[in-house]
Amino acid sequence: MAIALPAATTRPRRFARRLPAVLALAPAALVVIVVYLGCMLWTIRISLSSTKLLPVNDFVGLDQYLRLFSNARFQVSVENLVIFGLLFLLGTLVLGFLLAVFIDQRVRGEGVFRTIYLYPHAMSFVVTGLVWQWFLNPGLGLQKLVRDAGFETFTFDWIVSKEMVVYTLVMAGIWQSAGLVMALLLAGLRGIDEDIWKATRIDGIPTWRTYVSIVLPMLRPMVVTAVVLQSIAVVKVYDLVVAMTKGGPGTASETPAKFVMDHLFYRNNVGLATACATIMLLTVIAVLTPWLYSQYGPNSQRRGR
Amino acid sequence: MPSIRNYALAAGLLLAGVSFAQAQEMKAEVLHWWTSGGESAAVKVFADKFKAAGGEWIDTAIAIGENARAAGINRIVGGNPPTMMQFNTGKQFDEIVANGFVRQLDDVAAAGKWQEILPPAIVDMITRDGHIYAVPVNIHGENWLWYNTKVFADAGLQPPKTFAELVSLGPKLKDAGVIPLALGGQPWQERLTFGAVLLSDGGPELYRKVLADKDLDAVKSPEFHKVAETFAGMRALVDQGSPGRNWNDATGMLITGKAAMQVMGDWAKGEFIAAGQTAGKEYGCVVLGDAGGYIMGGDVFVFPNVEDEGQKAAQLKLADLLLAPETQIDFNMKKGSVPVRLDVDVAKMDSCAQEGMASLRDPKKQIESINMLASPDLAGALEDVVTEFWNTPDMPVDTFVENYMAALEAAG
Amino acid sequence: MSTLVQPAGRRPRHVTWGRIGVYAFLLSAAAFILLPLYIMILTSLKTMDEIRLGNILAWPTVATIEPWIKAWSAACTGLTCDGISVGFLNSVRILIPSVVLSILAGAINGYALAFWRVRGADLLFGILLIGAFIPYQVFIYPLVRLFSAFGIYNTLANIVIVHIIFGLPIMTLLFRNFYSSLPPELFSAARVDGGGFWQIFLRVMLPMSTPMLIVATILQVTGIWNDFILGLVFAGRDNLPMTVQLNNIVNSTQGERAYNVDMAATVLTALVPLLVYFVSGRWFVRGIAAGAVKG
Repeated sequence: MAIALPAATTRPRRFARRLPAVLALAPAALVVIVVYLGCMLWTIRISLSSTKLLPVNDFVGLDQYLRLFSNARFQVSVENLVIFGLLFLLGTLVLGFLLAVFIDQRVRGEGVFRTIYLYPHAMSFVVTGLVWQWFLNPGLGLQKLVRDAGFETFTFDWIVSKEMVVYTLVMAGIWQSAGLVMALLLAGLRGIDEDIWKATRIDGIPTWRTYVSIVLPMLRPMVVTAVVLQSIAVVKVYDLVVAMTKGGPGTASETPAKFVMDHLFYRNNVGLATACATIMLLTVIAVLTPWLYSQYGPNSQRRGR
Repeated sequence: MPSIRNYALAAGLLLAGVSFAQAQEMKAEVLHWWTSGGESAAVKVFADKFKAAGGEWIDTAIAIGENARAAGINRIVGGNPPTMMQFNTGKQFDEIVANGFVRQLDDVAAAGKWQEILPPAIVDMITRDGHIYAVPVNIHGENWLWYNTKVFADAGLQPPKTFAELVSLGPKLKDAGVIPLALGGQPWQERLTFGAVLLSDGGPELYRKVLADKDLDAVKSPEFHKVAETFAGMRALVDQGSPGRNWNDATGMLITGKAAMQVMGDWAKGEFIAAGQTAGKEYGCVVLGDAGGYIMGGDVFVFPNVEDEGQKAAQLKLADLLLAPETQIDFNMKKGSVPVRLDVDVAKMDSCAQEGMASLRDPKKQIESINMLASPDLAGALEDVVTEFWNTPDMPVDTFVENYMAALEAAG
Repeated sequence: MSTLVQPAGRRPRHVTWGRIGVYAFLLSAAAFILLPLYIMILTSLKTMDEIRLGNILAWPTVATIEPWIKAWSAACTGLTCDGISVGFLNSVRILIPSVVLSILAGAINGYALAFWRVRGADLLFGILLIGAFIPYQVFIYPLVRLFSAFGIYNTLANIVIVHIIFGLPIMTLLFRNFYSSLPPELFSAARVDGGGFWQIFLRVMLPMSTPMLIVATILQVTGIWNDFILGLVFAGRDNLPMTVQLNNIVNSTQGERAYNVDMAATVLTALVPLLVYFVSGRWFVRGIAAGAVKG
């Protein structure tokens, strides 16, 4: 893939040419090594110590990990993250895709619809989470409304049910993030050539089939971008939980990020918090490395060099 | 008047020579988490007294204790400490003291006779290795039961005296069409409620054995078992929408007469006051249990080590000023808590505060809150266990006892 | 680049059941998404006595704009009772350099990674991306020690650098993929013409990046404007952003709550990112396609 360079180019000259690139990347490299790599190693180191609030330089082996894995709340957190993560990713992708497709039908007021779908992203969850809490509360919100309208037996009490509460987090999460996916996918749709639509029309293929069989595969890069951005949000999910349920009822809606934050700031147990962060880090590495390798590794396709 | 006062002050300082320079630059940056309307009014009492003493008060308010402490502790270790910083009375500042970041206050404490005027448990809480490191400013009662007087009058009932009575009132209040107990179903509020039951039904000895000594035998005892059963019995008094609710929304249910009672700290008074209600009239307060122990929470200020002479002078002035009797009354009337020194006259305060103060003057009724007895780590781990029990109606009490013991063993 | 200005869907014909269906879907989705905002605005117009009654969906009996005025300029957040307006200028002062520099850093890195083979660069990029998944709160303590060692802790520069650091993964990802999606001939031609690293970046690449720059601006404005904990820890007390005041108004452990003011303050704080969405909506949608991960 390398571009044709004059045959006379020698190694030192090529290096001289690349020097500015190396220099340009140097600050970023410094940040990656000092901050990202440094902080990751620091986190792992602290997770092997008995640190409470301020770092202690002792070594307690895997004590924090043993405590972590025997902690019932941590186990619930991991289960919740899996359920929440899968449903949230699926939900935002489906709703985001549908919104993008429908908004792409040359509708009037497109800009208004788009801004409406995006606005939840701009608001602090401290208060919008409270509003969700009220709305889902059986005595205040939807259930009361429908019952007052005459449907006495209507029940919608997910937020106060240990089994169902995680789905209310999914609901509010989708509400907040579907707009972002919509914007990404709409951008993808706008990039698709008009000729494809003409061709499918001539062939008499139904619109829904065109979208599912032809357009959707073409949107794959956008879908991947959306998945990466949303996955970062999933792993870090914290505000949503604090604002809506405080992890309850009981510990039914706890998440790993909230476990980290509680032990970091509230419970003065930085050792346990960093152990949990390390487990999260290792999980992310295990999931992400194969994908990164296929995307950016030595055998991946590259352009212009 | 102020101008004459300032003039007199300035004249006095001029005579004092050296201290003039110091007083002129007596400057304090104060980091605290008192941000709501009532709390702001309370902290203003401190600021005004300090200004009157010639100091400059620079206010750094950050809502939510965890946030404020995260910012403050990082500033202390980062070498840019505030002059004075708030903590809850308890173990939160252990490590910054142990690492030598905090100024020792033995001289001020000795001059002010703190040993004599403060409850002994509070003196313990500000002492590390025999030295004093913090100024306590208030005591919050954490185990009050608040009730709507009209709801009880209409139903022809008397407010309960014990938690057993409280549970037995449930069906009658439900018949009267009200929610018997308003609970904000967040872990810390459930923990607070459990603490109140533990003290009331188990007594101070069991309470301290469990929380301070981590005594597993005490947890296995029939008394603890009974506490857990009473606590479990209270589930029937709570409405379905409780989980996740904020404490003040629960207080709002009392204010509007939707609910009859709430177990909450005395900061709940702020909501009643904001709604224009008066203690002893629209709402009442009572501490349940025969022993009547008063669970003391509260706030302290610590003074990080600073270089600046003006700030150092300000620290000494503040340490003295925060505990002055007049300051204590004015501050605590606004804050909803009671003065931390037992020798002040509380006749100006509301009936609940007076009752609280009367309890506090009996040393047997001075009970430490969980934050004073247990590390934040342990308090948090126990909170997890309590909230899980409360929200799992089919969990046997024995399982709860086992989980409780496991948490006592695991957490430091 | 075959970016079409026009939507690519089928042309609408006369009013059909299909068209009605499209609008029905869009409107019901809009209703679902607007519902919380509706409740917020209703609540912000009520008195606290009315809010305590708990009819969250009821219209206010007596509407009042008092909470809005209070939220902006009179609510107490400690000793100062000047509402959320206090931190507005600080937020702007943090926002502008942070957004500009983090985007510039992302663009330069993305460009260098996409076109210039530098040994080890892909590994660095991989670490960066993985780092984006860790709750950054874990990093706060070591960063505090690092910055205080350099003597810039609690300054405006400090918070700007922190925003650049935490913006680096996503900004680099977006620009890297954007530049990779450009026709490779563009770069080869520039090289053959003897263009160096910076010349190609400034004269060829940057001018072509407008859509991506807008996208990055929107993402960064949202993230940096709404940041709370980083501003709180790193900015220093003279530079505390508006979200600290917002937090002081809407959050309190033991203090009484004024929900009407909370709601108004939240909407007011969100106005800047909302304005950015609204103004640059067109660009946002047209630009982001090019930054997608090449799947």
